[in-house]
Amino acid sequence: MSEPQPPAAPAPTEGASERAALDRKTRRAFQVLILQRGRNPGVKGWEMRRYLGKDYKKVLEVLSDDLKPLGLEVHQVPGPEGTDDSTRFLLRFRDAPTLAEAETAGFRIDDLAVLAASIALINSKQGRISRKELETFLKGKFPRWRIDYSVDRYVKRGYLDVDDKELMRIGWRTRAEVDERSLMTLILAQGTKGDK
Amino acid sequence: MPAEDRDRDKKLEDILRLIELCRTVQSSSVNPFEVDIREKLLVLKKYIPDWGLIDVMLKDSEAMQQLVAIVKLQSQWITHRASALYIDPLLLELKIQLISREELAESLAKCWHPIAQLDQLTARGLEKAFVYWRELVPFGERYKYQFGSFGQQTTTIGLEELESLSIFTKEEFETRLNAIAKELSEKSDGREIDYRGFINGKDPEETALRGYLVAFVVTEGRATIRTDPLTEQIFISTIQGEPGEETKSVAIVVR
Repeated sequence: MSEPQPPAAPAPTEGASERAALDRKTRRAFQVLILQRGRNPGVKGWEMRRYLGKDYKKVLEVLSDDLKPLGLEVHQVPGPEGTDDSTRFLLRFRDAPTLAEAETAGFRIDDLAVLAASIALINSKQGRISRKELETFLKGKFPRWRIDYSVDRYVKRGYLDVDDKELMRIGWRTRAEVDERSLMTLILAQGTKGDK
Repeated sequence: MPAEDRDRDKKLEDILRLIELCRTVQSSSVNPFEVDIREKLLVLKKYIPDWGLIDVMLKDSEAMQQLVAIVKLQSQWITHRASALYIDPLLLELKIQLISREELAESLAKCWHPIAQLDQLTARGLEKAFVYWRELVPFGERYKYQFGSFGQQTTTIGLEELESLSIFTKEEFETRLNAIAKELSEKSDGREIDYRGFINGKDPEETALRGYLVAFVVTEGRATIRTDPLTEQIFISTIQGEPGEETKSVAIVVR
């Protein structure tokens, strides 16, 4: 008489193995996004396809959902060509920080105000304005030294962009971090709440 | 100058003016529709049979290229104006001037989603740091051409040296020392007085000299100095009788 065999482990179902593969890809996507790769943060669409396969957008959607409890999200910034390959994907805060939190990140209220005014003005002027024009406008509200310091700092950090003709434009970081449409609306709405 | 040459010069001037206009529009936020493309194209078309020189023809093609850039700008202008980001600049400028800096900052903070990323040392960064360090000029050499040599290091100067430099004589020094000790005794009247106020002279030289003399008075045990740890204010008072055993040397900067 043969000895009784121990029960065999249940074979993984197709759904479970799919889920495991998706989990693996999600983890990989997170690692790829969180690590600094080049000078600018984020990973382009073609790189994502190489790391995660052609269904990378679905993986990134899953990751974005998974990151919700941590207050993060996967955000995509359309590239200059407007193609999927040139789109840049990056991790960013899902909720906006408070003013006090922004200050702890090294931004003074005046610095933030200069950036807000610059973004709004550049957008209202068809996305480009000469540096001189911008500085002349800001001079009416901020001290001269603050303007020079802040504008240079924001150009360096990628929030503003300046070309060789000294023409200011919105920088890649603003496109990635700031909801410009909301900013314009909020600025226009400021001061009206308390109006009697 | 013959009339024909004058006419050709005028036409060339028109082309150069057109190029300049297009460049100005491109390098400012002026409405690109200010340039009448149709009119300018007709001008170029009218002039083209008159050009014989290659240089002038190149200017003509440059003007054409600039007009193309303006058409591109016009297209962007329409796209932007049709988007939700368009707001009348005058209205926005007025609004920005009216609201406070805090309100502006708050508006930005409310729609700001900072990027989350780990900063780390990359191979490129390491290489950059290495090249920077390798090419960094030694500190001693760095500002040599700007400020010259650094001169002699700061050292202490003793009474003997002052005597040898004829700044003091022994008798004069003793007289001054006694005079300042007497002045301190009179001013303090047994109480503590502000050190900086006491040594303050009519000019920096006199202040330094009084500070120097007071240092001797204190060293001889005829006065004592106390620093308030909270305000960092320095007090001086005379000592009646024998000085205490707990003495220590302190350095005070005299400005």
